[in-house]
Amino acid sequence: MKLIKFVAAAATGILLSTGIAIAEEKPVVGLIMKSLANEFFQNMLEGAEAHAEARGDYELRAVGMQNETDFESQINAVENFITQGVDAIVVAPADSKAMVRPLKRAMEAGIVVVNFDVALDEGAKKQQGVELAFVGPDNRGGAKLAGDALGQALGEGAKVVIIEGNPGADNATQRRMGFEDSVAEYKLELLDSRTAHWETEEANQLLANMLTANPDIQGVMAANDSMAIGAVKALEAAGRTDIKVVGFDAIPAVLPMIEDGRLLASVDQFGKEMAANSIDLALEVVAGGPALEGWVKTPIELVSGK
Amino acid sequence: MSTAENLPAASGRRPLSIRSIINNAGIGLALLLMIIFFSVASEHFLSANNITNILTQITINLVLAVGMTFVILIGGIDLSVGSVMAFAAVVAGKAITLPGMGATELIILAILAGLMAGMICGFINGAVSAYWSLPSFIITLGMLNIARGAGLQISGAQTIYSFPFAFEEFGSKLIFGVPVVFLVALSLVVVAWFILNRTVFGRLIYGIGNNEEAVRLAGHPVFWYKVAAFSICGLTAGIAAIIYMARLNISSPIAGIGFELNAIAAVIIGGTSLSGGRGSVIGTLLGAFIIGVLANGLILIGLSDFVRQMITGVVIVVAVILDHYRAKYSAT
Repeated sequence: MKLIKFVAAAATGILLSTGIAIAEEKPVVGLIMKSLANEFFQNMLEGAEAHAEARGDYELRAVGMQNETDFESQINAVENFITQGVDAIVVAPADSKAMVRPLKRAMEAGIVVVNFDVALDEGAKKQQGVELAFVGPDNRGGAKLAGDALGQALGEGAKVVIIEGNPGADNATQRRMGFEDSVAEYKLELLDSRTAHWETEEANQLLANMLTANPDIQGVMAANDSMAIGAVKALEAAGRTDIKVVGFDAIPAVLPMIEDGRLLASVDQFGKEMAANSIDLALEVVAGGPALEGWVKTPIELVSGK
Repeated sequence: MSTAENLPAASGRRPLSIRSIINNAGIGLALLLMIIFFSVASEHFLSANNITNILTQITINLVLAVGMTFVILIGGIDLSVGSVMAFAAVVAGKAITLPGMGATELIILAILAGLMAGMICGFINGAVSAYWSLPSFIITLGMLNIARGAGLQISGAQTIYSFPFAFEEFGSKLIFGVPVVFLVALSLVVVAWFILNRTVFGRLIYGIGNNEEAVRLAGHPVFWYKVAAFSICGLTAGIAAIIYMARLNISSPIAGIGFELNAIAAVIIGGTSLSGGRGSVIGTLLGAFIIGVLANGLILIGLSDFVRQMITGVVIVVAVILDHYRAKYSAT
């Protein structure tokens, strides 16, 4: 009996001392992102890695996923981070509802969770009894910036079409609603609104076909820049220099197009810094700062020629 | 049925071309009905601009489908062509944006690099699946991931842009309203038709699909014929990559997701049997037209995205059912 107690005490002692050893080391931040095949998240990862190196006072463990709809792997990543006992999880959810439950478990395990890029669903949070702040851009507001630029350039009553992102994706929905806000505000006439699944070639074909059906289109709102590039090429092929296009994301490939006026405007949401800023916020809470509340908005900016 | 009868190449005769004409006429009739329907339903459908659009829009799928026809004729499948196209586009995109060279050299270099990249992927698909007699379904599924990953790795997941002007010009050039890129695709169809119908190699492609063992016993190097079929498929993915770049003036590592399915659909709708040995590249041409006309026409008549997707699915299923009956009648 004594022996057993002794062993137990020794084991506890070892556990405690290792626990202390871990606590003395740098805090560990688990970063969970969406598809790294997406330029936006790839840039974000690079920004986060540079940030980890520059700060040097925390350890970064980053996980991406195979594609936009593979949220199973995000759930696994949360569980792995719980097992590893990280100090904070910073996550861009691929699905705003499915991620609530695993993140709740992480919070119950005492991990600081920061939700960035795409907000978790309010209803799902309420249902699970989770209070969690959101750090991220206003996709709807951003799209409205681009849409407003188009509205100003074209004037009231102009005929426009929207090229949407993936149906069901939260940022696609938000951006579409932002464009629709501009349509309402500038009293534009929305001729058609269809998805091109974020993809250049598909947007190119889609706009060519929309132009056939509605030759009087004056403006195009594309929910990301890859699709805006496809739209611009379709207009060039049709010889329609009179039609104006706006995009979203301000990827490097569109900057020359904005310069020479083929693209009217795009929106920069500073993706490169977004993960890094969220990590900063998470580390403040880990260091004993107050919990985050509500919506911490990150900057967005209209990028246009003049 | 003896093995000799199963080997059209051995006798040097083309098998029942009248029947294949009737088969193709069936698909052509379906296409014609579709065209009539859309011309009535939309005033824009038959406009010169829209015809140019349709030709442009089916080009990439047609190019991929021509290569896919070879693979399906030998009883294989290539699921990797969309990814291989993106990989080849990235390789060519890296080549064409190299500093310190003239535009012409860069364009030639990029085209060669893109075609090579595609063909190497196809070669690997064929060599691995034929050497170990593994189902090409799973090998090319592996290649789908390998090529996609390689493209993302090389490009750092960034869109590659700013190509020489001459290259862009080629992508949007029209001759009497017909896109030059479509003429490239059409000439591929002609070349493929010639190879499949007028050369021993082509007849053996059919032979392998009908009865691989017989071709082997007749002393032909089946392994190399299979490798060649997959290499051709990879090469067409490389050609599709160059066309993609010329048209859009970018290289995207996430291009072509799901393109393999459209290419397979064009081949199957065109009457080529999934079990191999039966079909034609002319059918594939018509199949690509059916998919392209459908995609274009359904937008023009204003159907929603989701309904469009459903109808496209129904057309594929109906085509395969028709294929079932074709197989039954040609067997009797």
